[in-house]
Order: sequence, then C-alpha cells, then structure tokens
Amino acid sequence: MQGRGNQTPPPKAPDKYLWPDKPAVIGTSVKRLDGPDKVAGRAKFSYDISRPGMIYGKILRSPHAHARIVAIDLSAAEQAPGVKAALVWKQPGAEVMFQGDEVAALAADTEEHAWDAMRLIKVDYEALPHLASVDQAMAADAPAVFTGGNTKPGPVQESGDIDAGFKQAAHVVDATYSTHVVTHVCLETHGCVCEWDGDKLTAWVSTQAAHGTAQGFAQGLQIPQTNVRVITQYMGGGFGSKFGPDTQGLICAKLAQQAKVPVKLMLDRKEEHLATGNRPSAIAHIKAGVTADGKLIAYDAQSWGTGGAGATSNFPLPYIYVFPNRRRTHQDVYINAGQQRAMRAPGHPQGCFLTEILMDELADRVKMDPVEFRIKNLPDRAPNAMWGEYFTRGAKAFGWDKRHATGDSTPGPIKTGFGCAANQWGGGGRGSKAHCDINADGTVVMKCGTQDLGTGTRTIVAMVTAETLGLPVSAVTPEIGDTMYPFSGGSGGSTTAASVTPAIRVTAFKALDALCAKVGPALGVDAATLVASAGRIHVKGTPSKGLAWKDACKLLGTEPISVDGDWMDGLSSTGTSGVQFTEAEVDIETGIVRLKRVLTVQDCGLIVDKLTTESQVYGGIVGSINFALYEDRILDRVTGQMVNPNMEWYLIAGMSDVPQIDIILNNMPERGVIGVGEPPTVSTAAAIANAVRNATGVTMRSLPLTPAKVLDALEQEKAGGTL
Amino acid sequence: MAPKDERPDTPERFTVSRRAFLKTTGISSLAATVVGVADADAQTPGARAVGPGEVPVQLLVNGKRLDLKIEPRVTLLDAIRTRADMTGNKRVCDRGTCGACTMIVDGRTVYSCSTLAIEVQGKQIRTVEGLTRGATLHPMQQAFCDADGLMCGFCTPGFIMASVALFEKHPQATVEQVKKGLDGNICRCGTFTRILEANMKVRGVARA
Repeated sequence: MQGRGNQTPPPKAPDKYLWPDKPAVIGTSVKRLDGPDKVAGRAKFSYDISRPGMIYGKILRSPHAHARIVAIDLSAAEQAPGVKAALVWKQPGAEVMFQGDEVAALAADTEEHAWDAMRLIKVDYEALPHLASVDQAMAADAPAVFTGGNTKPGPVQESGDIDAGFKQAAHVVDATYSTHVVTHVCLETHGCVCEWDGDKLTAWVSTQAAHGTAQGFAQGLQIPQTNVRVITQYMGGGFGSKFGPDTQGLICAKLAQQAKVPVKLMLDRKEEHLATGNRPSAIAHIKAGVTADGKLIAYDAQSWGTGGAGATSNFPLPYIYVFPNRRRTHQDVYINAGQQRAMRAPGHPQGCFLTEILMDELADRVKMDPVEFRIKNLPDRAPNAMWGEYFTRGAKAFGWDKRHATGDSTPGPIKTGFGCAANQWGGGGRGSKAHCDINADGTVVMKCGTQDLGTGTRTIVAMVTAETLGLPVSAVTPEIGDTMYPFSGGSGGSTTAASVTPAIRVTAFKALDALCAKVGPALGVDAATLVASAGRIHVKGTPSKGLAWKDACKLLGTEPISVDGDWMDGLSSTGTSGVQFTEAEVDIETGIVRLKRVLTVQDCGLIVDKLTTESQVYGGIVGSINFALYEDRILDRVTGQMVNPNMEWYLIAGMSDVPQIDIILNNMPERGVIGVGEPPTVSTAAAIANAVRNATGVTMRSLPLTPAKVLDALEQEKAGGTL
Repeated sequence: MAPKDERPDTPERFTVSRRAFLKTTGISSLAATVVGVADADAQTPGARAVGPGEVPVQLLVNGKRLDLKIEPRVTLLDAIRTRADMTGNKRVCDRGTCGACTMIVDGRTVYSCSTLAIEVQGKQIRTVEGLTRGATLHPMQQAFCDADGLMCGFCTPGFIMASVALFEKHPQATVEQVKKGLDGNICRCGTFTRILEANMKVRGVARA
C-alpha cells in the first residue's frame, strides 16, 4: 500500500539533508527501544487495554457457507445475565456469503457472560447453494452463486509473437502448477477497544494504519474524522491483514455507543482464520519453450485462483525472467470463503513459485546448471535488478558447486538437494509527516503517526533523529502509534521505512536549524557554519568551537523548538532484488521434508538498523518455510467449512523446524531507504521445492509440500514420471 | 494443570517433542479433569461441586496473594489477565498449542489458557511480570533484547517463560535441547533464530 502521493511533485531534499557518508548511528545494530517493555510484559497491546467499566463484545457469525437470513431474534440474549448491548449486523433478507460472515453482536460484563448470551441469539437461515472449491466454481454445471458469474476473466497480457517463439524452441515444458490458500495468523487477533466521550471516539486498535483506521471509523460511523482518535502503541502482527477498523471495529464502536461504556472486542482464533483475510490460491497451466542454447523464448499461461467470496486473486506471471514472446490470461474464481487480503508481498510468492519450478525444469531440458540458466535469462542489470551478481555471490557462499545433478543417487531413504529462487519487490514510500520538539533541558521528542508492527519503526525514528542531531539514540524519545501525531500512511508494501525516515530526517534538520539559529549568535559565528555531531553543536571542522548539546539547548530559555516537517524526495527510492538458496533433506519413505540451510543475498537500499533488518529477513524466510511445508487453509469440500481453524491443525513451524539461515545484506546507501519487510518471504518456498526436486528427481508443482504430496509425486514418478 | 511428574529429569526425558510437551500440559490436563470427575464419585466422597456462579479463588501469583471471585470455568490466563490486569502473558490460540500463555506453576510450564484458575490454588504461579526485579530485567529477558529475539512481541512473554523454566531445570541445556524445549511455542514473525541465540547467551549464567 503506497503512501498518499501529491499531484505536484514533492520537493527535493536539499543536499545537506541527504544521508551522511559516514553515519554514526545509521547502519549500526541498535536494539529495539521497546524491547524491554515487550519482554517484561509491560507493553500494552490493544488486546491488553483495560478501561474503567469496560465490557466485552462478541460477534455471531454465519455457520453456513452461503445462506439467506430469514429471521434474527435477540430478545433472549438481551435478557441474559450481564448483557449491556446487542445489535443485528445483517438484517433478515440479506445473504451471508461464507462461514464466518458477521450476523449479529452483543456485549456483556464478562467474556463468559458474552459467550453464554451468544448461544441465545436465534437466527433462522435458508441454506443456499455454495461453492467450496475452485473446481466446483469452475464446473460447467456449477450453481450461479455470485452476481455476474462465479468467474471473472481478466485482460490478456501479451507481447512478442507466441507462435514464432515456440517455433524457435528446442524444448517445451507443458504442465500445471499451483499454490494454496494460507491465512495470516496474526498472533494478536484483529480487534479493538472503543470508548466514547460524548460524540468523540477513542479506539485502541490492532492495526497497520492508525490514521487510515481513524478515517475508516469516521466513514463507517458517519462522524467527523476529527472526533476519532486511534491508538496503536503495540500490535501483534498484521502481515497485510490489518488496514482499517473492519466490521468488528465498527461493531465494537456501536456496541460501546449503545452500552455507554467502553467495549473490548478482540476476535478469537477461529474468527481470525475465517474472516480476516488470506493469501489467494494460484493455479496456472503453463507452456514454455527454451532454445537449444538455453534462452527462454516463448511462454503461454492460463492462470486462475480464488480470493474467496468476490475478491481478486491476480499475481505477477511470469516472474522476473525474460520471455521475449509471451501471453498470459488470468481469471478470478469466486468461492464461498472469507475474502483475501494483502498478505506479505501479495502475489509474489505465488508468481515466484509458479515460475521458479518451471525454470528448473527448463534448465534440465537444456542440461544447464539452474543458476547459470537463470543468469542467462535475467532482465538487464540495474540498481533494482541485481540478481546476476547475487546469484554468483550466493552460489559461492552456499557451496552451490557441490550440487549434484537432479536426483540424489546416494543409497538410503534420505535424499539431499539444493534449490534456488529469486525475488523482487517495490518498497519505497512517501507522504509521512513528523513533528520535533527540542526543549531547553536538552530533551528531544520526535512524533510521527506511524505504527510499529514489530519491524522496528519506533527504533528507526529515534535512530534517524539521533543521527541528524548528533546525539546518542537514548537521548531521543520517539512517539508513534497515535493519530494525535502527524499523518503517516499504512504500513504495507514495505513502505514504512522509506515513508517515515525521510520525514524524520527533514523534521530533525529543521529543528537543528532552529537551534543553530540560537547557537550561532551566542558563539559569534554564522549559524550556517554549524553542524551537530557527537553531542555538540559546533563549527564544521572545528569541534572545539561550539557548545555541548545541553548548553546549546539552554539558550532556548522558555521557548522550546517545535517544528513540523514533511517527506522529501531524494532520501528514498524503490525496487529491491534478492536471491535465496536452500538445502533440503527428503525422506522418500515418509515424504517428510526437512530443511538444513537457507542462504539469502538481499538488498533493501540504505540499511537503517542492521539488527532489525536482519530480523525481518529471518522472519520473511520463516514465513515462506511455513508456506512451503506446513500451513494450509483446508475447506471441507461438501460443507465449505474450514476444518482447521486453529493452531494445532493449521500447522506453523516451531523452533526445531527452522534451519540454519545465513543472511548476506547488500547495503546500497546511494539509493536511500527502500524497505525489506516483504522481499525475503517471496522466494524461499520455491527454492525449497526446487531442492526437493534436486533431491528426489521428482518435480513438485504444487504447494504445500506435505508428506502425502511428496509420496504421491514419488509414486507418479515411478509410474511414468513427473518430468 | 499437569499432574506432578515424578520422573527424574534425565537428558533423555528432557528431549520432548512439541506434541509430547502438549501432552504433558494441555491435553493431559483435560484427561486429568475427566479422570478426576470419575474418580470423585468412586474414591472421594468428600468432593463437592462448585459453581456455576462466582466462587472465591485464591491465587499465589509472583509471590503475592490474589483474592478473586470468578466462575470456576475461568482459566488461569483469563483470571490473571482480566481480573488482575496483568496482561504480559497473551491469549493467542486459546487451546494449548502456541505457548503465548505459558506460565510456570510449581516449577513446571503450563499452558495457562488450558488450565483452570481454580485448579492451581495453593500453587506457586509465576508470570512474565514476576521475572523483573524493580527495573532490572531477568537475564533471559535481557538476552532476548540483546539478541533481538522478538519482533511484534506477542509471543515473547510465553517464549521467555518457557526459556526461563528450561534453564532453571537445565542450566547447561544444549542447542538441541533448547530447540526441543521451546517447540511448544510459536512465533509468527519468525524470530526463532534469535530466540535460540538469546537462550544460548543465558546458558550457564546464574540469575543476577
């Protein structure tokens, strides 16, 4: 999600605002500033907020995949012990479109009372035909469930001459590839605490967009946005699924209005799986040709996928590599399941998997090493397209030369293999604003209405301020996560760092200029000659001619510095590239895949905090390991009910499942800040599937790589081959 | 609540899998409850039913007495979070899988989301809040900060409690033992590598 762009080009940052050549703070490893509060259990997430008189809200959801509501009776629930408010969300006559669609809600003095009262809400449903899978939705005799059709074709993307391309192909691969639906599984579920003071709403929301959520409340409740304050000091994971108040937020606000006391409404784990988003599935029938000397030449793909009930499912395809002649069509398929939302690098893990598996197949056809084959078919090198160098560098560090040809020929049931894959992402961001106060006692506060998802935003706000003012990080108080602070956009698309840090840099510089305007006359020098470094304001090149920070601030007397600043161009950019290598072990008797190593070479522009940057890369890789091997939203094909809406059958890696992970970061300070939240999670799954292929000689064209699927593929191979 | 385990803590016994860990906390607590009811009829004539309304429940949390009036169905986690406003330990899966609610009861880790408060009266209950001494973090908490063993921080208190319990029993735990010992906890941000680093920093370090 991009920050808000202006119609006119934004002003360019003056030269002196540009990132320093020899930074004191930026690029070092700074421990996250809110670490102590989080490890001590002091950090108050929305889930932890308690307000005087607060009661608990719950939402009644559809048990059916598709039904019409005939009647709703709240009367018994309203009389139940402790119930203070109740409302109908979908009126009789309306349709529910998936299991988990919101129907009604109530609030009671304790959660236990709320659960009891929920059982007393009577809803009569008329069950309607539903679609529980993509195959059902695409069947010729499928019931017409969605207005305008169960499928929606997209435009044809075409370039070059397909027929001529295939004529030049020495080898053609023709196969079907697929990825599955996974859910975000934010550990802190979606939800909020809403409190009214007259016509003013304060909401503590688990959100990736504090300001955007305030706007969402204002629109949804039809109240002025100035009457809404959203607070998000800490939030327990979003991964793309938390960008507004959502239905549960609006319900919570209405319950609080009705009950005249604050209401907490946090979803439970099942609701979280059903109704708060997922990564759409992706399926593609691909025919691809390669010339005898290993150049990609032709590509023809029909793809489809489901984003649930009426939501899109598109993704980039083919991914990264250059097919001079290509055609691709895509259609969205609607089923009766919760709608998709952006999920960490939306579209890219799917496009990457569907392309990278094919790449290994094509490389084998022309008997080329997969790395060499990829390098031969990359787009031209550019700052945002560095894969060639990264493949070479990564292969060396990984020991790629020890890779055997497809199929581990050593005896025994455990087969080992190597795989690789590449990723790209946009990142970048703009539009943030900030406010800086410098007080006469030397204290510094930097305020920005962004939010910290666990990425370390709070810490980099302090780091950039400290760098600019020549102070240690500990001397700066960063204030974020509140719409009382200046506007900053949603944290999505890896845009936060590139949106926030320029605004902080500009604002801190403006504050510094204001301070220098006081220090210059006091020292009898031109303020323009002053710089800040190592805790002093001094004449550039002459540290002795200056004042210690505290003495400089004393000159402010009773009038602190209080300045606003905006994002400026020139401190950030967009476009990242990265590559990953994996080593996997496959037990061909059980089908169990275990990872031994992952190595990545990744860039993200200027690295602000090395420590938290690395943590994000670790996290992205683990997310992709989950995507490859474990997690899977399973719908019952008859009822459309999710059969694993929990955390024991919806599998997520534990510590024993996580392999050695080696990270090589390519710092590119000349490009400014870009962002790294998403790229690392794009390509690990594809690299794992390619390692399984290299280990077993069997091509894995469908995720997740469960033991059953691996065994099935091995059987198919025996019966005639997956190649 | 897991029945008190009398088996010696040999290294072999220590290397439990995630599922085995689950068995010794969440699932066996269910089993114990069911067996307990059957046994009550057969063997414990003095047993009395309580509830379903609020009953007095006394908990010993971090060395302090907590007098609550709660329904017997209230879990240890909810009692401490919503009745005592100690919200360090988190509710995430709410069925004994993810470990975010991990507390230490009489020296053993429990999934507090799957333990009834009324079951653990008279026992020593420790939550993440009980680890700090004034402003000083427990060495394990400090190690998590130093190694960046956290991102969003929602799983962190549970991981720290599991890690603390592990090293209190096994001050010299190896990498493999730490991995097994923490397999009952899930981190969605994917910070496992650094949680492991944090644990190894604490290996052999005595509590300050």
